[in-house]
Amino acid sequence: MLGLFGTLNLGTRSLQTQQSGVEVTGQNLANVNNPAYARQRLQIQTSLTLQSQIGPIGTGAEAVTVEQLRNALLDGQIRGEESVGGYWLAQQNGLQNAQITLSEYLDRSANSVDGTSNSSSIGNLGLSSALTSLFNAFQSVATSPTSLADRQALISQAQTLATRFNNVTEGLTGLRDLLNASLTNDVNAANQLLTDIANLNDQIAKAELPFNGKANDLRDLREQKLEALAKLVDFETVTAPDGTFGISIGGVEFVSGKNVIDRLATLGRTGEFGGPNEIVVASANSQTALTVRGGSMAGTIDVRDVTLAQFGTDLDTLASALITEVNALHATGATGANFFEGTNAANIRVNADLISDPSQFQAGVAGEAGDNSIALALAKLSSKQIAGLGNSTINDYYGRLTGRFGQDLANANTQVSNYQTVSAALLRQRDSISGVSIDEEMANLLTYQKAYQASAKIVTTVDEMLDIVLNMKR
Amino acid sequence: MRVTGNTFTTNFLNQVTRLTARQQQLQTQAATGQRVTAPEDDPAAMQRVLALRAEQLGLTQFKNNISILQDRATNAFNALKGIKSLSDRAGEIATLADGTRSQEELKTYASEVTQMIKQAVHTMNSKYGNQFLFAGTASDQPPFTIETDADGFVTSVTYNGNTNVTENEISDGSSLTIDVPGANTTGTGARGVITDSRSGADFFNHLISLQNNLRDGNISAIASVDRPALAKDEENLIYHIGNNGVTQSRLETAKSALLSRTDSLEKMISKQADADLTETLVKLTQSQTAFQAALQSGATLMRLSLMNYLS
Repeated sequence: MLGLFGTLNLGTRSLQTQQSGVEVTGQNLANVNNPAYARQRLQIQTSLTLQSQIGPIGTGAEAVTVEQLRNALLDGQIRGEESVGGYWLAQQNGLQNAQITLSEYLDRSANSVDGTSNSSSIGNLGLSSALTSLFNAFQSVATSPTSLADRQALISQAQTLATRFNNVTEGLTGLRDLLNASLTNDVNAANQLLTDIANLNDQIAKAELPFNGKANDLRDLREQKLEALAKLVDFETVTAPDGTFGISIGGVEFVSGKNVIDRLATLGRTGEFGGPNEIVVASANSQTALTVRGGSMAGTIDVRDVTLAQFGTDLDTLASALITEVNALHATGATGANFFEGTNAANIRVNADLISDPSQFQAGVAGEAGDNSIALALAKLSSKQIAGLGNSTINDYYGRLTGRFGQDLANANTQVSNYQTVSAALLRQRDSISGVSIDEEMANLLTYQKAYQASAKIVTTVDEMLDIVLNMKR
Repeated sequence: MRVTGNTFTTNFLNQVTRLTARQQQLQTQAATGQRVTAPEDDPAAMQRVLALRAEQLGLTQFKNNISILQDRATNAFNALKGIKSLSDRAGEIATLADGTRSQEELKTYASEVTQMIKQAVHTMNSKYGNQFLFAGTASDQPPFTIETDADGFVTSVTYNGNTNVTENEISDGSSLTIDVPGANTTGTGARGVITDSRSGADFFNHLISLQNNLRDGNISAIASVDRPALAKDEENLIYHIGNNGVTQSRLETAKSALLSRTDSLEKMISKQADADLTETLVKLTQSQTAFQAALQSGATLMRLSLMNYLS
């Protein structure tokens, strides 16, 4: 038998337990819109029983722990997917910028009414039409070799082309600087996250050890930081018995327990494809480059060092082939002068003498004003298969270049869309386990409220019973 | 599966975002009529379109070439026709100048021939733009210069041009020569209009000879030398006029071939790059319906929770 006082205690404990339930429900409801939050449940357990003549008698219930509903496997999957997403988003971003720089858009409404295009209304800033227009301008001069107007048009067309080459290269260089800057930002953000994670490790260890419970809210916060870090760079985690997470990137340990052992740094290097001021991610302690996989860091490095670097090299090859071929023919004229100056896409420009005096353009052999042999040969370059361009014509080479570039971007778009689908599915799954449901919490609130009312009834009933006992002797 | 209020909202947002993106894409396709605008839309199609469009632009240039060449050929034809009528008249005079004509009449004929030579030189110095038509590639100066004596008779006509002619491209890989030199005594290359060693034509010198013989009353020489010589000139001119006609018809053929190629290129580009408007609009209507349905159902459901029923 508990006796009246024992029962009073039982009621009080029950009141406290139900109140804790309301508190946990309140915490859940308050965090309903916090994406990092995992719902919590109060674990209630019957308190110790008392032996009596009629057998063990219950002493009510007590709250033992506040449990967090979280699936570590799902969390790991989400971190992995964030790495994939970060990688492809960085690729997509870089390539989309490059697509704008390239400006190779198709605008069919710019064509004239009869369906044919003319050079003035092609409505296109891309290199493709500029290349074709140059060959057309050579044709015009070949058809009217004595016309100064056609020569002027040719020179201005050649300048347009050279400027387009220059602009695209400048755009790509600018983009490389932006990618480098974005890499530096990522490294700084990752370092901040590593510090935060180490601090949270510390707090979690301190909070959990003495009380033997779980620091749910701190763990939520750490998971959020881990996901943010995964978006930047892929890493491996090691869970220690004290609940702390060790973090390694590219095989180098960065966080162990509460300590940040190493920090990320950037190293300057001359680019693999000759680009200056390229930066790579490195370990601050050893000052050696890290092989980073996944995340926006790897995405940025790959788009810069593979896709865009290759594109820049190909563009240089194209410009260089154009310069060599055109100059070789033009130099057979009386002046022996070059048509283009420069050696690549960045520095290609029209010979200044030709700009100041278009009549200096060598359309044919010396002394024969009506000869068009050189201009005609230059016009025919458009269909010449050039060895330096893999035996393709200038236009075909550029077309392939654009096609390959488009393919890379289309691939990045598909990967990003895949990531979004997978990520949404994983988040939905996590939400089904960890998400707060208002309906559920309201129902729980009612349950605890009713239980609280019932427990209070126990207390008042025992109180009345005690009154009766005390009033028995007057 | 356990669904929470936020699962619902997030899903709803994802769906609406996807539908909005789809509608935006379809609306752009409907507005521009294009399925491909940037390389990312369809890289393979874009690559093909770039090649086709380069060819299309090239064809436009060939069309420009052809119309310039046609103009030039027409001008040359008019000049040849003028020379031909002068040659006809010269032949007529050579026939008329027989023993029945008085010395005075012959002298009148002689001055007519002088005027004809001057007229012919003027015609042979025709220009198209700033280019002399019959100077070979030395087309920046008049090909023929004339010398007269004190009495105004023509003593000589000199050819200053050369025998080189230019080639022009009228379609991919196909070239043609439209110009003819005023004179060619080399025995190779394009035949000269006035003087040509292969056909024996030497129109100006033959006219000068006729003029001198008429002036001097040398009737027998006119009959024995000038008339056969002028007949050779006539033949040479007929050859050139015929040749010009052939060239013009080749240009016309090339032009219509270009036009039909342009049409088929347009169709090919359209096949690669254009959107099927019916399909696009049907899909757009579908997404619009789905969008409205999503908004309507979402708005109704998201307002409801257990809260609405607890007092």
